[in-house]
Amino acid sequence: MKPVRIADDVFEITVDSPSLACALAEHLRSAGRAEDVVAGLRSVAVRFPPDEAAGIEAWLSTVPVVSGPPPDTGIPIEIGVQYGGDFGPDLDQICAALGLSHDTFIAQHTGAVHTVEMMGFTPGFAYVSGLPASMNVPRLGDPRPRVSAGSVGISAGFTGLYSLDGPGGWPLVGRTPDSLFDPQSDEPFRLCAGQRIRFRAV
Amino acid sequence: MLQVISPGLQSSLQGRPRLGARHFGLPAAGPADSLSMALANRLVGNAPSKTSIEITYGGFSADVESDCTIAVTGAHGGIQVSGAEVPDHTGLTLRAGQTVSILPPSVGARAYLAIHSGFKSTNFKGSASTDITAGLGGHEGRALKSGDRLLPNGKAAFPEGFSTPVSLRPAFTRAFALRACESAETGLLDSTSRSALFETNFIAGRQATRMGVSLTGRPLLTASDGRMKSAPVFPGTVQCPPSGTPILLSCDAQVTGGYPRVASVARCDRHLLGQIRPGNVVRLLRRTPDVASERYSDKLELLNEWLEPSPDERAYILQ
Repeated sequence: MKPVRIADDVFEITVDSPSLACALAEHLRSAGRAEDVVAGLRSVAVRFPPDEAAGIEAWLSTVPVVSGPPPDTGIPIEIGVQYGGDFGPDLDQICAALGLSHDTFIAQHTGAVHTVEMMGFTPGFAYVSGLPASMNVPRLGDPRPRVSAGSVGISAGFTGLYSLDGPGGWPLVGRTPDSLFDPQSDEPFRLCAGQRIRFRAV
Repeated sequence: MLQVISPGLQSSLQGRPRLGARHFGLPAAGPADSLSMALANRLVGNAPSKTSIEITYGGFSADVESDCTIAVTGAHGGIQVSGAEVPDHTGLTLRAGQTVSILPPSVGARAYLAIHSGFKSTNFKGSASTDITAGLGGHEGRALKSGDRLLPNGKAAFPEGFSTPVSLRPAFTRAFALRACESAETGLLDSTSRSALFETNFIAGRQATRMGVSLTGRPLLTASDGRMKSAPVFPGTVQCPPSGTPILLSCDAQVTGGYPRVASVARCDRHLLGQIRPGNVVRLLRRTPDVASERYSDKLELLNEWLEPSPDERAYILQ
């Protein structure tokens, strides 16, 4: 693999898919040599103290190509969603833009099996793929300064799940009453890259 | 122990950065100016990353509830103990019943108040730093409020007498020259924009926060179609959104982003990001990653003699 130095303290490796990025990131993280290993949708970045650049580059150059994890055939986790109303203030507008009734939108959103592609942007935010390609709506012109934990948004063909309160620019369709974050746990976020999800209207 | 009277605009407990948790979407947090915090800790006999108070634009005051040894570094407009002026960069013994105040600086943005043994703080994922966005770590996961009682980890008294060698005291001005490297999408800039990025002055925008600061100047044109796949970003990354006004990310930077990454401020100068105020001049000086790494090693070597960090603390001095 060819690491590219994108900062004095970061190498980046380009891969073909989000699942390959996750698998490679996991593999590199397990070596415990980097300050941070972060997967993007098509890349993995490795951060290190700048005076260790030579050693890190040599190591990354010898890492074999990691193949993606086998498709998850287990049962997807179920996330309950209260669609519309105060929890999904943008649902009306999205349905109008897509020419769908609420019921059709909910049927389509709950009908598919979705996959967490990446955690990022804000703490605990999950980028989830699996929306029909037709649901390509833009982000809000003005992001909201505060979006409640559990909020569910859609944008650019992805569903976004907010594990924590925070700012957010995705149009919101609903909110899950399920807790997505447990600060006492070793794995504090319920969602992780690669996980499969089915939404259920509650 | 200190009880906060006034936290100023934003004060929070910061210590070791939360490294190794970006894949959960958690930012590094930690001090916006890691060097100033390391210097403060040195004066009270602590390791560089012991948990300290980061104070933004002064305006901080606290009652001293029991004897303790503290030191203040970074940007301030004077330090007072019960109304009497005391020096920065010096270990100070405070007595129960006194009041300590940090006045607003006219240049620079953040001061650091360290206490012997460090402040008690909630540990989360290996770090006691406050993640204000996620509400984790630090003092109840939030910025400090009036009435908060801050306890030391152990005995807070320490024989005073240390003061930072004058040659190692950072001086803050209204202009920042930051060494920076090209990044993954620098090639998307047209040639005029590429020269503008590294050869012209920018003005720091109205929002200069722990997340980052926008850089206004000649708008930069990128050849991006706005559909870039979200990719990792870090403290120091300079992103260029379609508006052409680049954003320089700091210690609370989000972990991924979809705007072209056109530069990265080098680790040797990144501690200065915590001192940029709105309206300040920012200039990026292009360096190759190898040269930037050498400057990092040079700077650390210069500091090592005074800070004497243990091997595992070394990397926290310049983050």
